[in-house]
Amino acid sequence: MRADGAASLTWIGGLLCLAVLLAALLAPWIAPFDPAEQSILDRLQPPGGDHWLGTDQFGRDILSRLLWGARISLTVSLGAIGLAMVVGGTIGLVSGYIGGRLDLFTMQVMDVLLSFPSLILGLIVVALLGPDLVNLVIAIALTAIAPFARIARAPTLSLKERAFVEAGRALGYSHARILFGHILPNILPEVLVMATLWLATAVRVEASLAFVGLGPKPPTPTWGGMTRDGFETILDAPWLAVFPGLAILLLVLGLNMVGDGLRDATDPKLRHE
Amino acid sequence: MAGWRAALLGAAWLVGLAWDATAQPVLRVGMAAQDVGRLDPHFATSTIDRVVVGWMFNGLVRFAPGSADPATIEPDLAERWDSSADGKTWTFHLRRGVRFHGNYGELTAEDVAFSLKKAGTAASSAFSADFRSIGSVEAVDPYTVRIVLRENVPSLLGILTNYSGGYIVSKRAAEERGDGFTRAPIGTGPFALDRVTPSQSAELVAHAEYFREAPQIGRISYRFIPSDASRDLAFQNRELDLNYGRSDQTWVNRMRQQPGVTVDIFEPAELAILNLNITQPPFNDLRVRQALAHAVNRAELVRWRGTDVSREGQSLVPRGYLGFIEAGVLPHDPVRARALLAEAGHGSGLTVKVIHTQLPEMLNMMQVVQQQLRRAGITLDLQVVEHATFHQQIRQDLSPLVYYSAARFPVADIYLTQFWHGRSIVKTPTAVTNFSHCSQADAQIDAARVSTDREEQLKLWGEAQRILVQQVCGVPLVETLLVFARRDALDYGYPLRGSMSLGPPITERTRLR
Repeated sequence: MRADGAASLTWIGGLLCLAVLLAALLAPWIAPFDPAEQSILDRLQPPGGDHWLGTDQFGRDILSRLLWGARISLTVSLGAIGLAMVVGGTIGLVSGYIGGRLDLFTMQVMDVLLSFPSLILGLIVVALLGPDLVNLVIAIALTAIAPFARIARAPTLSLKERAFVEAGRALGYSHARILFGHILPNILPEVLVMATLWLATAVRVEASLAFVGLGPKPPTPTWGGMTRDGFETILDAPWLAVFPGLAILLLVLGLNMVGDGLRDATDPKLRHE
Repeated sequence: MAGWRAALLGAAWLVGLAWDATAQPVLRVGMAAQDVGRLDPHFATSTIDRVVVGWMFNGLVRFAPGSADPATIEPDLAERWDSSADGKTWTFHLRRGVRFHGNYGELTAEDVAFSLKKAGTAASSAFSADFRSIGSVEAVDPYTVRIVLRENVPSLLGILTNYSGGYIVSKRAAEERGDGFTRAPIGTGPFALDRVTPSQSAELVAHAEYFREAPQIGRISYRFIPSDASRDLAFQNRELDLNYGRSDQTWVNRMRQQPGVTVDIFEPAELAILNLNITQPPFNDLRVRQALAHAVNRAELVRWRGTDVSREGQSLVPRGYLGFIEAGVLPHDPVRARALLAEAGHGSGLTVKVIHTQLPEMLNMMQVVQQQLRRAGITLDLQVVEHATFHQQIRQDLSPLVYYSAARFPVADIYLTQFWHGRSIVKTPTAVTNFSHCSQADAQIDAARVSTDREEQLKLWGEAQRILVQQVCGVPLVETLLVFARRDALDYGYPLRGSMSLGPPITERTRLR
């Protein structure tokens, strides 16, 4: 019964993520208006009529900006987590496999990175590099490298002692072949589960950075930026902040549901239950 | 005689004791601020600081409360004055019995001479440039001050008002407190600073010995609430009596619908201008500057901001300033803009990198301008930075286009000199805020400043504005008025039409019913 419930939640989460993904992919075709086009006469229209979710202080259609904003959120989050997975995963693999002083040093560096809250580290990096899409990806990736390194290193430490790795060494395989051909496929499921859970964090950090004004340049629509813009007019036009806030909530919820489901599915203890 | 004086002082002390500030009403003011900055009036440059400084200090003369019109200038600390035939020597006769806050005694000519010298020195004042024409200030006797000018100025009384460098401070307090004076200033105004709690409030207490009469309000609590929404909620919940407003029609309409609330919209308006650097590409080409001017739609900007709170800019000096003329700004014509761009070799469009602040009010306005220019083929690539960084970078000449919005003393000379005179070009030793590098009207500005013939002066100021507009050194956008909302229980004691301190003056006559 409990397993059925968990599976349902995973499916609901999956559907939420799929909906956002489709919205992002199809935005150029399904968005009813140009997300940057202003119409001063139509400013602050409430939801309804031509503008299903209303308009903002410049008369821009909120639904269209939400759809286009999904692209930014997903691009930045997927890019950042992909980068963190590759860089962090490689660091963890190599560090765990080689061991010794290198491992000690690398893990201490990772501990330092882990000691910074994601948002603070993101703020520092974006403030230093400047708020554009590539820098946002780098900033968020930096916050996620350490957890990926840790999650890749732990199983590598035990896997490198296993017979199939010893056999590879005896056959004269290179370290790279053993690492990426034999150890990596065994740790990949755990890394992917981690990636799903961290995607939610990445979406949240991206939105938070945009909320404090460190998002892409205007008039590019971002969910965090839209929430910030709406916050100051919340007493005049609450829909400006409510809809992008809701979009962030649903995507983060969906990703967490999928992540939890995948974690449960790959956890041998929970699998027996 | 000595006995009489002692008796009078004793009586004054008894009156002071009998008058209890804590028994008087407390005025609660909400301000869009994290904190106050520098409360030394000669360094108070932000709106946040100017508002509160206006309640604590006096000038030799003052604008009538509720007015920003130089025609209403009247005696304040000086009860009368006279000038020599050539207009270069001025003598001010001070009121007697004016007391400073705390135990800083009676105001004398020494305090006035000290204050004006301090205001004219760059190390101790942000407004020293305004006092360039003053040759000497001396205390003739304890109640007489003589000012000698190097050259004639359009309005000496203008710079001696209760505004910017014209505020009079206590010499003894400034010398005793040194750098600490900026957070613990001493003036003669109706309210004295009690304490500042960072990120919370500045608390002011009534000056019982104020020379006009003891204020009817006992304390002012000047509360820092940076978020508009939070401040509005506090005002709606009756936790504030006076609320700094958003210059936005939607905000004004919402406030007006609330029972028992009055919205005050008043002068001076801040004129927003796109300053174009005429020495750097692409704006070193007049056709590109004209294209940009034709692309701007001022009527739409006013519609966006609101007709009650804004009006179209029609010159490179704000409307209502002495010397202002409608200078013939180029009309909105996107087709002509595209044609001019094509003529200048930008037929496929033009992209300009612009440094801009992330301050919401300025960023929002710039986004409307960005959209208007985009329709004419000009793309503004906005590099949005924190507000202090914005000010630093535009003064380093790093942006070919600078959006700047400001109000100054309402005489054309000040605006023309600070924004459009060659001596004020940024990144020079005498820099002020000339971002355009224009100096084409220097001769007219200089001649007007020293002219003693008012007609000639007005003609020269008009000529300067026409030259600058023709050269498209800048493109005026809109003028935005100041907005505050108050509970009807708050009676200023005068009709509020303008305030050079950028907030409603709270005087001895202001009361909370």
